[in-house]
Amino acid sequence: MDAFFVSVEELRDPSLKGKPVVVGGKGPERGVVSAASYTARKFGVHSALPLRTAYQLCPQAIFLEGNPKLYREYSQKVHDVMRRFSPKVEQVSIDEAYLDMAGTERLLGRPLAAAHRLHEAVTAETALPCSIGIGTSRLVAKMCSDLAKPNGVLSVEPGAEAAFLAPLEVSRIPGVGRVMQSKLEEMGIRRIGQLQGLNDNALGRFGQWGSALAAKARGEDGGGWFDHAVGARELPKSISHETTFGEDTADAVLIDATLAKLVQLVARRLREHGLWSRTIQIKLRYTDFTTFTRAKTLDEATQLDNVILETVRRLFRENWSGRKVRLLGVQAGSLTDPAGQLGLLDEDERKKWGRLLAATDQLRDRFGESAVGLAGAMKHGRRERIHENPAGLPGKTKDEG
Amino acid sequence: MEITVKTSDLVKELGLGQGVVEKKTTIPVLSNVLIEAKDGRLTLTATDLELGIESTCPAQVTKPGSTTLPAKKLLDYVRLLPNAELALKVGDNHSATVVCGRARTRIAGMSRENFPELPKMPATLTQIPSATILNAIQKTAFAVANEESRYTLIGALLLIKEDSLTMVATDGHRLAYVKADGSFTGVSGEVRGLVPKKALNELVKIASEGGDSMAIDFATDENHLFFRCGSRLLICRKLSGQFPDYDRVLPKDAGTTLTLNREELTAATRRVGQFADERSRAVRFELLDGELKLAASGSDAGESEESIPVEHSGSKLRVGFNSQYILDFLAVAESDEVLLQLKDEESAGQMQLPDPKGYEYRYVVMPMRV
Repeated sequence: MDAFFVSVEELRDPSLKGKPVVVGGKGPERGVVSAASYTARKFGVHSALPLRTAYQLCPQAIFLEGNPKLYREYSQKVHDVMRRFSPKVEQVSIDEAYLDMAGTERLLGRPLAAAHRLHEAVTAETALPCSIGIGTSRLVAKMCSDLAKPNGVLSVEPGAEAAFLAPLEVSRIPGVGRVMQSKLEEMGIRRIGQLQGLNDNALGRFGQWGSALAAKARGEDGGGWFDHAVGARELPKSISHETTFGEDTADAVLIDATLAKLVQLVARRLREHGLWSRTIQIKLRYTDFTTFTRAKTLDEATQLDNVILETVRRLFRENWSGRKVRLLGVQAGSLTDPAGQLGLLDEDERKKWGRLLAATDQLRDRFGESAVGLAGAMKHGRRERIHENPAGLPGKTKDEG
Repeated sequence: MEITVKTSDLVKELGLGQGVVEKKTTIPVLSNVLIEAKDGRLTLTATDLELGIESTCPAQVTKPGSTTLPAKKLLDYVRLLPNAELALKVGDNHSATVVCGRARTRIAGMSRENFPELPKMPATLTQIPSATILNAIQKTAFAVANEESRYTLIGALLLIKEDSLTMVATDGHRLAYVKADGSFTGVSGEVRGLVPKKALNELVKIASEGGDSMAIDFATDENHLFFRCGSRLLICRKLSGQFPDYDRVLPKDAGTTLTLNREELTAATRRVGQFADERSRAVRFELLDGELKLAASGSDAGESEESIPVEHSGSKLRVGFNSQYILDFLAVAESDEVLLQLKDEESAGQMQLPDPKGYEYRYVVMPMRV
């Protein structure tokens, strides 16, 4: 989707069209930009930029808090359209998805024709602009769609991948960030074509990343989440939520409420994925940005709020210095399929909790996240925020509250 | 202080204290052993504040006195000395000079003033035969929980009545229960205490050292349990908190009873267990007509199954268990045959010995979903 959050905001209020719009917060407060309109981007504002910096760059922009619920509704609408085009849809973030079109030619025509029909369908049903890239790999498709923006369709024919990529800058490759870019620059490499010319040894010093990078330069999927098949059920390695306080705090009650809230979010996602976790980790960042993570491995895997919260509270108690806290995070790791071992002493109680939490999950599905929760979490007036294409990774979202 | 003592005596007594001495402690003196000499005896005391061991051995006391010395260093050194007489002399600065033959060493010590005072043993309440307590510990201690969070499960329950001694241990997944007959005169009603795992280990050491026919003097005060075994005394702080109601857990109706050869079951469980999921170690037990089938398929390495002939017909059932839990029982069961009782996939399985002499032994294991 093109400038997804902003496009949705423009639908709600057409007067925003063509103006610099920043979604993420009401002004130069703490937090980061979650989306910026194309007009705002001309001033150098982009997502993940601190709001204060965005304000300095573009004080005339219209700053909006955003409307996560509405964005999710539109995301779901687009998803429904995509499902009509392919059974294999892999949604990688709220505004980005891959479709495996193999075998759909008889039904929908050649990929380029199908893409135009998809584009028309999305426009007809949501009135939102989107861009579609077509390629023989997800990598090429993604890079095409980036180049097709705004509101375009671009296809690279099979066999033409390397030639298409050659003139592009290496930073266009998903996964090549500022650090990698500067390392490559030290080697004199700026364009993807130069990467293609290297033998595999030259990238050997980057280890696994090097071989993935060489594959990417040729237009192939490789490395990280590119490794598995489109639409294959992917198990996240960990599930985490974190939150930054509006104002740093040493208020034990507020901190405890925040932990409870984070635990609730993590446990809910565990249940959504049908996963149990054995390793619970907390993340703690103080005002001076010193950051600690501390983990505990449980005797048996769990997906229950109360068990995770108990562990999180203990980890926090044992590790908090009493100083003001800037950020808190909770992570559930060592994820496994259903916990097998039945308990001797507390099986009835565990079953009761399981049923109770299944019921609260249903309530939240119907009435929203804050419909019901642990009493301890209520003191935390956490505002939900979501981001366009956060890290592109499953099982990872970030909340700023 | 000035004494002469046999190196072999010193090595034996110091060895008993080693399990108690804290390796990593924030209180330095707890790494030391308290050494006191008077009336022809040498007394050694080690403690970690939860647990204490006091033991004595004969010594020629030229000048009574006391000090504390680093327990591990002292043992490591004395162990290297030949079996001979050793002269130990403590100077003004708490350090000791050890002379044995042509070897002469000074070991730095710390003042005994800093060493915690151990509670005094009250009058003996009753006597427990060594063999009884050793058997009870050996058959239950493996089921004690390791995890810190379930505080009351990190020890075994010791329950003594006038005519029985019961020990129960559980980690929340399985429970081991031994009830031994005996005559515990002096106990009116019942005495109960939660014994930490570390204390169980130490109790085994001093009880075995005394021999099977020995009787242990047992006493208790509000917070402590006391076990005196000849010249050695073990003092442990009772774990506080409520031990689970084990009576509720012991199955009233354990289902179908199978009599199995212990070695056969052990070997099959071990072999099949090789192919169980490494973490859950789940093995399926399937009861069919005339056979008990064990199977595992949880690992990437492959799958394995094996069948053991049993006298059974009629009802079929399938239930999964952590194979390690089964092996834990089989390792301490000393009979040729064992009883395995299965009911259904959600109910606890039970293992027993066919005909234990003078005691009852029950081992209850909750199944796994497989």
